[in-house]
Amino acid sequence: MASILPVFLVLVIVAALMTAAFLFVPKGPNHTVIRTGLMIALAACYLMWMVTYMAQLHPLVSPVITIKAED
Amino acid sequence: MADDYPSLLRSEQMSLVQLFVPTEVAHDTVAELGELGNMQFKDLNPNVNPFQRSFVGEIRRIDEMARRVRFFSAQLAAEKDVVPIRPLYDSAPLITVGPRAAQTIDELDVTLTEHESRLVKMNESYQTLSTRTRELIEAKHVLRETAVFFDRAQGQQTDIRTSFDESSAPLLQHDDRENQFSSVGNVQFDLEFVTGTLDRARIPTFERVLWRVLRGNLYMNHTDIVEPFVDPATGSETRKNVFIIFAHGDALLAKIRKVAESMGATLYPIDANADKRAEALREVSVRLEDIETVLYNTGSNRRSEIVKIGESLRSWQDVVKKEKLIYETLNLFNYDVRRKTLIAEGWVPTRDITTIQVALRSATEESGTSVPPILHELRTSKTPPTYHRTNKFTEGFQTIMDSYGIAAYQEINPGLFAVVTFPFLFAIMFGDIGHGFIILFAALYMILAERKLAKQDLGEIVGQFFFGRYIILLMGAFSIYTGLMYNDIFSKSLHLWHSGWNFPGAEGVGSKIVGTIGSHRYPFGLDPGWHGADNNLVFVNSYKMKMSIVLGVIHMTFALCLQVPNHIKFKRPVDIYANFIPQIIFLMSIFGYLVITILYKWSVDWSQTDVKPPSLLVMLISMFLSPGTVEEPLYRGQGPIQVVLLLLAAVCEMKKIHDQGYVGLNHEGPRDSSDEALEGEEEGNGRAIAEAADEEHEEHDFGEVVIHQIIHTIEFCLGCISHTASYLRLWALSLAHAQLSEVLWSMTIEGFLNPAGVIGWIALIIISALWFVLTIFILCIMEGLSAFLHALRLHWVEANSKHFEGGGHAFTPLSFANAEFKE
Repeated sequence: MASILPVFLVLVIVAALMTAAFLFVPKGPNHTVIRTGLMIALAACYLMWMVTYMAQLHPLVSPVITIKAED
Repeated sequence: MADDYPSLLRSEQMSLVQLFVPTEVAHDTVAELGELGNMQFKDLNPNVNPFQRSFVGEIRRIDEMARRVRFFSAQLAAEKDVVPIRPLYDSAPLITVGPRAAQTIDELDVTLTEHESRLVKMNESYQTLSTRTRELIEAKHVLRETAVFFDRAQGQQTDIRTSFDESSAPLLQHDDRENQFSSVGNVQFDLEFVTGTLDRARIPTFERVLWRVLRGNLYMNHTDIVEPFVDPATGSETRKNVFIIFAHGDALLAKIRKVAESMGATLYPIDANADKRAEALREVSVRLEDIETVLYNTGSNRRSEIVKIGESLRSWQDVVKKEKLIYETLNLFNYDVRRKTLIAEGWVPTRDITTIQVALRSATEESGTSVPPILHELRTSKTPPTYHRTNKFTEGFQTIMDSYGIAAYQEINPGLFAVVTFPFLFAIMFGDIGHGFIILFAALYMILAERKLAKQDLGEIVGQFFFGRYIILLMGAFSIYTGLMYNDIFSKSLHLWHSGWNFPGAEGVGSKIVGTIGSHRYPFGLDPGWHGADNNLVFVNSYKMKMSIVLGVIHMTFALCLQVPNHIKFKRPVDIYANFIPQIIFLMSIFGYLVITILYKWSVDWSQTDVKPPSLLVMLISMFLSPGTVEEPLYRGQGPIQVVLLLLAAVCEMKKIHDQGYVGLNHEGPRDSSDEALEGEEEGNGRAIAEAADEEHEEHDFGEVVIHQIIHTIEFCLGCISHTASYLRLWALSLAHAQLSEVLWSMTIEGFLNPAGVIGWIALIIISALWFVLTIFILCIMEGLSAFLHALRLHWVEANSKHFEGGGHAFTPLSFANAEFKE
């Protein structure tokens, strides 16, 4: 699974969720806040996940562990 | 349309309204509007001295009542046994509107005056009685102690008598005095004496002074009074001594008396005769008992009076506060003598005009008059105040963004977006699942106990945390998410999925194993294979720094784009072309390019290519220092592309300066300057200035505008670079947090993890408690406050500088609910 495909897949899913948030939040006194909040939250969480995933896709360094005395 | 409901995106639409209020109904109208809290009144008499305004008399009366209420409140607070004060929501309300209002206020005035005079009288008599009691107690002590002196001296009396008998015949005076003496065992003294009490500390000084003044011709004795005297007002204790001084001669006695008085002693006349002394003692005791009874009765009367005051104190304070506000507001109105009406002007949210009209009508009905106040909208070119309608959830976020500056009227409100971006940026710096849960639960508790906590007085610090409970709630929730991303729970890692790293077999103690990557990647967050690795920080730092830049550039771009709705709303299309477009191209061509290269470099499998992965930092720097030549290309055609981007950036800056200055003088739209600018920057600049020479009559304005625009441009360019680097604090704080968490674990619990025996277990429990306390205080509270501050700074400086105009004034309606509760 070391491919870039999940990035685009999840992007599509998140875009769909954002559209749903835009269209389906019930109208009321807090309409704007809920809609804006949901969309920004979805976008921000996706961005952070995407960056974390891509950073580990083709890592340039490998972890080095030193065996300790115990265990 | 969003007109149905208010939105936080912009300030509410405000209208300037004029109210015509008949004088009879004025007080009740303002009371009703104050309860509603929707109207900000303008001062229509700005040039009038506060002492010359119409309602000065009423305000003075209310001030007197307020003074009395403050006096009561101080007296209640000074009581040693706490007096229960009935809280406002529990008290019966005083009706201050309607036809009986004036009567209620008069009655209140009378009640307050009565209470005050009674209380003052009782205080005074209590004081006097206390002083008398003290004097009597001192007299009693003096009598008792001097009895001891005289009894002792009696023993030596016979010696003295014999010496006297041997000397010359008794003088006539002695005979007189002898006749006054009665019964056996009485003492005859030729020496006279002075008795009294004095502070224990001053006795040695007193003795020395007397010795010097009288040259030793005195005999002084003194004893301690065992019980100290407690001053009822201050509660301080004084210790006193009884003294008796024997001396001979009126002159000496007078001197003694003077010295005693100057040292602050109290003198008590004592009779030499023992019987008389006994009688005096009895008298004093009787009087003391009487006074103590009276004192006790006064005390309990005063106490009951104060308790009665405590029952109604809050409602009095409420009434006085409201009336004061009402009359102060009435003073702002303009009095129209002819029509006997008051004219008021003020700002109201347009949406609320109907509510206000309803309130006006209900005020008229209550007061019983038939003429209602009239509301009338005015047209004005003055800037209305900015009003963002918030509820208890959005209030906290709006407040922290308003602290930077009140948004201009109808400007895009950064507070709306901060509802999510602020907790999210906080969470990037705070990412830890465990700590996130702790602050989430703290916030949940405060929210669930909202009603109860709102009524209490929580104090300044806890009150601030309570005010921001919804902010803390979101901060905790997002921190749990970023904790999952960083795979950090109390400095440990979670293994929710299979790690992507495989570690071949161990060889021995001290050997190093290098992990190898498999075919699948850890799908959600940081791979737990990195936890405990020696070069953990090498990878994690690179990851977090790049993430900070990516998220920072995206945040700044978003903030920059918020300019566009502002330009559209305020009908400034020029600004879109002259400000926004150049700025966004500049930002994108340099830092957007950097973000794209970061993402591109991550997406390439460098082990399959034969090119060495280039350093992006070196690439960015050399893009500026030596454009066109790329030493280690990241992709094909990198050189020319970078040159193009650089030129784009330069062009945009020149365009900004040129266009704004040019267009700002109402010329026929911007000339196409992009061709000229490509030839050379100097030429583009020179062209603009040369054209300025033609417009001599507007030279001054043009110069100012150009200078302003140059400053703005330089500020933006430098700002872009510095702000992008500033976002690296997201990395810095999250690194600090992770390291602190790790150090705390390794220095406390880690050493106690294999408990041996009961002592081991007890030690583990104690050290765990210590770890938990330190987690809360250092990692949650201290680090939390630090991350809060930095996230706020990012919003105020980095984001707001891209679009925020500010300069608005806040909407401050007359509202009884929001008025300060001055005790």
